[in-house]
Amino acid sequence: MIASVKPPAGSPTGTPLAIHLTMDSPGYIILSRLSSQLRAQSLAAHNLANADTPGFRATRPVFAEHPAMQRAGHHPRGGREVDYSWDRASWRDQRQGPITRTGNPLDVALAGEGYFALETPRGERFTRAGRFTIGADGRLLDHAGHAVLNQAGNPIAISPGDSNIQIRGDGSIRSDNGEIGKLRVVRFANDQALRAEGDRLFDAAGQQPEQVLQPGVVQGAVEGSNVQSITELTRMMAEVREFQFATQFAEREGERIQTAVERILRRR
Amino acid sequence: MRSLHIAATGMLAQQTNVEVTSNNLANMTTTGYKRRRAEFQDLIYQNLRRVGSQSSDTGSVLPSGAQVGLGVRTAAIYRISEQGNLQQTENRFDLAIRGNGFFQITMPSGEVAYTRNGTFALSPEGTLVTAEGFVVQPGITIPAAARDVTINTSGEVLARLDGQVNPQNVGQVQTAIFPNEGGLEAVGDNLFLATPASGAAQAAAPGQPGHGTVMQGFIETSNVNTVQEITSLITAQRAYEMNSRVITASDEMLSTLTRLK
Repeated sequence: MIASVKPPAGSPTGTPLAIHLTMDSPGYIILSRLSSQLRAQSLAAHNLANADTPGFRATRPVFAEHPAMQRAGHHPRGGREVDYSWDRASWRDQRQGPITRTGNPLDVALAGEGYFALETPRGERFTRAGRFTIGADGRLLDHAGHAVLNQAGNPIAISPGDSNIQIRGDGSIRSDNGEIGKLRVVRFANDQALRAEGDRLFDAAGQQPEQVLQPGVVQGAVEGSNVQSITELTRMMAEVREFQFATQFAEREGERIQTAVERILRRR
Repeated sequence: MRSLHIAATGMLAQQTNVEVTSNNLANMTTTGYKRRRAEFQDLIYQNLRRVGSQSSDTGSVLPSGAQVGLGVRTAAIYRISEQGNLQQTENRFDLAIRGNGFFQITMPSGEVAYTRNGTFALSPEGTLVTAEGFVVQPGITIPAAARDVTINTSGEVLARLDGQVNPQNVGQVQTAIFPNEGGLEAVGDNLFLATPASGAAQAAAPGQPGHGTVMQGFIETSNVNTVQEITSLITAQRAYEMNSRVITASDEMLSTLTRLK
């Protein structure tokens, strides 16, 4: 999970290695690992805090190795190189969350891929949390008052006389008075590129949404968070230990430099 | 150290969860009570590397960014308006609504409140009032000479007066429905007030389209399901512990750092 920190090249006398690999490099390398790990810890905390948020997707850090600066023409021989650990990206777990029955006719869960489309003041946003209600003006709204959109991209209006509302697997809504509309359910070419905005909303971040033809809408149920608390906790414990290991390494490194300096001074 | 604050938001959220559950359990036997459920949403995100930004000057675009969420907060505490059980009381002024609707009550302030608790009684003047003595709208007065009072499913109040054979219609119970029942504001005492979110009340006789029917001699019990509440209490408690575990872990990391020589 953490980029490999390869042992720094020894001290091949006469090589230009000294230019970019100084005596204190290992300290900085281990520092890069410590700071990456702090972020990993924040992500785990965020996942655990949202273990009960409908439609939530767990996020994981992605680390990459970041090669140390090397001057052109001064490559170390034998392919020995030094990489810093670099928290490059976060990655969203796209596993389906558990679908729990609520009995509310306006709660809908997606049994497959896709997102519901909502109208917000900032433009169209997407969510997997299908907890909808009817607003005072009869529009179908999410909990924050954003209108739920139909396939044509317009809000869905339900009149007070519409009783016995049924939402079918393909997203079409009907009542005893006939068809009302069809929920807009979309998918994206790259789910990872969606930007989480909070409030369970995702921003398309420039991607074009495509309509899902058979979305697998389940009425009277809500998709829970896909955070697996046990995995998250174990991962976090492992991270704490790794962190402690890394700090110990930093400590030893400090001692090493100290003895080195002392020895050099003694020689004089 | 963001994780400390993030875990704190998680603990706060779970505390709300336990509060809501305990309120449900406390109202297990409250007539007409609807159980509540707390619901959460993720807080804002910090973008460390913005998704879709260019990673080089040749125009390559980051396929995914680095985002750190900042925790969780309570989105809503909503009422689950599932029908409660109907319990027979044999009291002639106990009314239960089967289906949608609320009784309308005139508060002492003149405001109209709404309730599903139909344990009514008569005032000294013979008017139908709630247990607190507030008048049920529209005011229905039962003549003192009435021997037998029947309220049928569509809310007609029929009284048989002394010396008469046919029952007389002395009033009509009305129920109110709302475009968005979830938007009603609970004010305690089983009463609700209309808000801009609930929309305006539409009053009509029970049994009209959209309105439930009235049953005399029954009350609606609360719809709290104890087994479900206890399970959610356990889940909330465990989630609380897990979040506190994050705080311990973060603290451990911090103390490792401060011990660093």
